Amino acid sequence: MRSYRGQVAIVGVGETPVGKVPGRSALWFNAEATRLALEDAGLDKAQVDGLVTAPSFVAPFARMSVAVSEYLGIRPTFSNTLNVSGATAAASVSVAAAAIHAGLADTVVVCCGDNMLSGLTRDLAVKALVESRDPQYEAPFGLLVATTFALTAQRHMAEYGTTPEQLARVAVVTRGHAMKKPGAQMTAPITVEDVLASKLITTPYHMLDCALVSDGGAAFVLTAAERARDLRRKPVYLLGGGESYTQEHIFCAESITTTGAAISSRRAYAMAGVRPEDIDVAGIYDCFTGTVVMMLEDLGFCKKGEGGPFVEAGQITYGGRIPINTHGGMLSYAHPGLPGGFFHIVEMVRQLRGEAGERQVAGAELALCHSLGGGFATNATIILGTEEKG
Amino acid sequence: MTGQKPLPPIDDDTRAYWAGLARGELLLQHCRACGHVQFYQRALCGRCLSPSLDPRPASGRGSIYSFSTVHRPPSAEFKDDVPYTVVLVELSEGPRMISTLVDTPPETVRIGQPVEIVYDRVTPEITLPRFRRAAAPTAG
Ligand SMILES: [Zn+2]
Repeated sequence: MRSYRGQVAIVGVGETPVGKVPGRSALWFNAEATRLALEDAGLDKAQVDGLVTAPSFVAPFARMSVAVSEYLGIRPTFSNTLNVSGATAAASVSVAAAAIHAGLADTVVVCCGDNMLSGLTRDLAVKALVESRDPQYEAPFGLLVATTFALTAQRHMAEYGTTPEQLARVAVVTRGHAMKKPGAQMTAPITVEDVLASKLITTPYHMLDCALVSDGGAAFVLTAAERARDLRRKPVYLLGGGESYTQEHIFCAESITTTGAAISSRRAYAMAGVRPEDIDVAGIYDCFTGTVVMMLEDLGFCKKGEGGPFVEAGQITYGGRIPINTHGGMLSYAHPGLPGGFFHIVEMVRQLRGEAGERQVAGAELALCHSLGGGFATNATIILGTEEKG
Repeated sequence: MTGQKPLPPIDDDTRAYWAGLARGELLLQHCRACGHVQFYQRALCGRCLSPSLDPRPASGRGSIYSFSTVHRPPSAEFKDDVPYTVVLVELSEGPRMISTLVDTPPETVRIGQPVEIVYDRVTPEITLPRFRRAAAPTAG
């Protein structure tokens, strides 16, 4: 199998302030995160010849990657505005790595930014999301995107006995992580009871089972491994990537409790030549608490149906089997729309560089990032490591 | 009912489907080449790509594959409807579809319960397929 394993590295990361950041445009969030990522990498913008980003919900640019490039004053020879909804984060890193490995570009910026909180009211944000459902077969029934995910959680509870308390535990654990992450949007401690007492949104999900709405942006700089060794930061190597697109409509999904994440992660593990038990820390797209429970299973960290007890047993935090979302994730750190999944990748890079401060997972050498979207329509997994060959 | 709820824009792929619902029939496409039964309405078979599809009325019976009761409306137009229960119905013919339940208190809804179709005429062109709890279990 052809592979980019060990051929490409992330050499710089940048994050803007997140949460409520009024007055800033989606372009600014992209550009500011990119500026910081280039500064982190010690590279000049003149060295960037590729740029990948995702569309903004708020800004009207159809060619967002071209608009961001112009804003930054760069003229890349590789450009892509990628949209596979929530899976865009890991997928765009994979695409950038493939482009570098194939010789389409030498140094690629992958960035994403949006102002979902300040640029859209919460009602408008929700409306934008419902309008992303099929106008023939879904939207007339008042289907929130959240409801598509809720349907999967409800079925998971019926099939495997997963409890609302186990779902809530995900929010509680990651809130604890966010409390140690400077700049996180939500840092007040919460309990399982708080989650269950928060307003019902779409059963079984309460307000605190759902990701935030935020402003913010993140960026990475990628280049070939042989070049990465000469740069100022410890390179974080791309060891594997996999994607899976199983359906558009939730009603066309073969299963709603086993997802394309099982396929995308299998491909990523195979490319990297590692197994789930080798992974030290993970960034898992956490649009909802139940999403995390199902992903722990599909990514191979526990058996199918055991995600709830796995969370309850303390396995997703320090001292457990696999600490996840050490920055707090989209449930507590930030979720500005498509950029939401990019912060998980920034955090995994910091973990592998050993720069996570009091959030550091001791001795982390292998990290997995998984992004997903559209009620598990899209899934993308990447595996990162401190060594070129895992 | 407030404001304009989103109504399906009828096109060549879906014209027969919405016409069927308007006269009280839920059409499923049966592939003449491979026998596959599909929802939703397309110009070709999603299994074998044959364009030869036979639209046949479904039984209108099925069971609740999953559900979620919506408490926060997706937009102002749905404000008066909450709480309403979105269902993923598994039709007795096999395919699944999204709908909402009528005449069913949210707290009584369970996965696996039998349901039957209710034709909800919204405009002369558009009849939405909704479901309600069925008395007897279905054969499928
Ligand atoms: Zn066929």
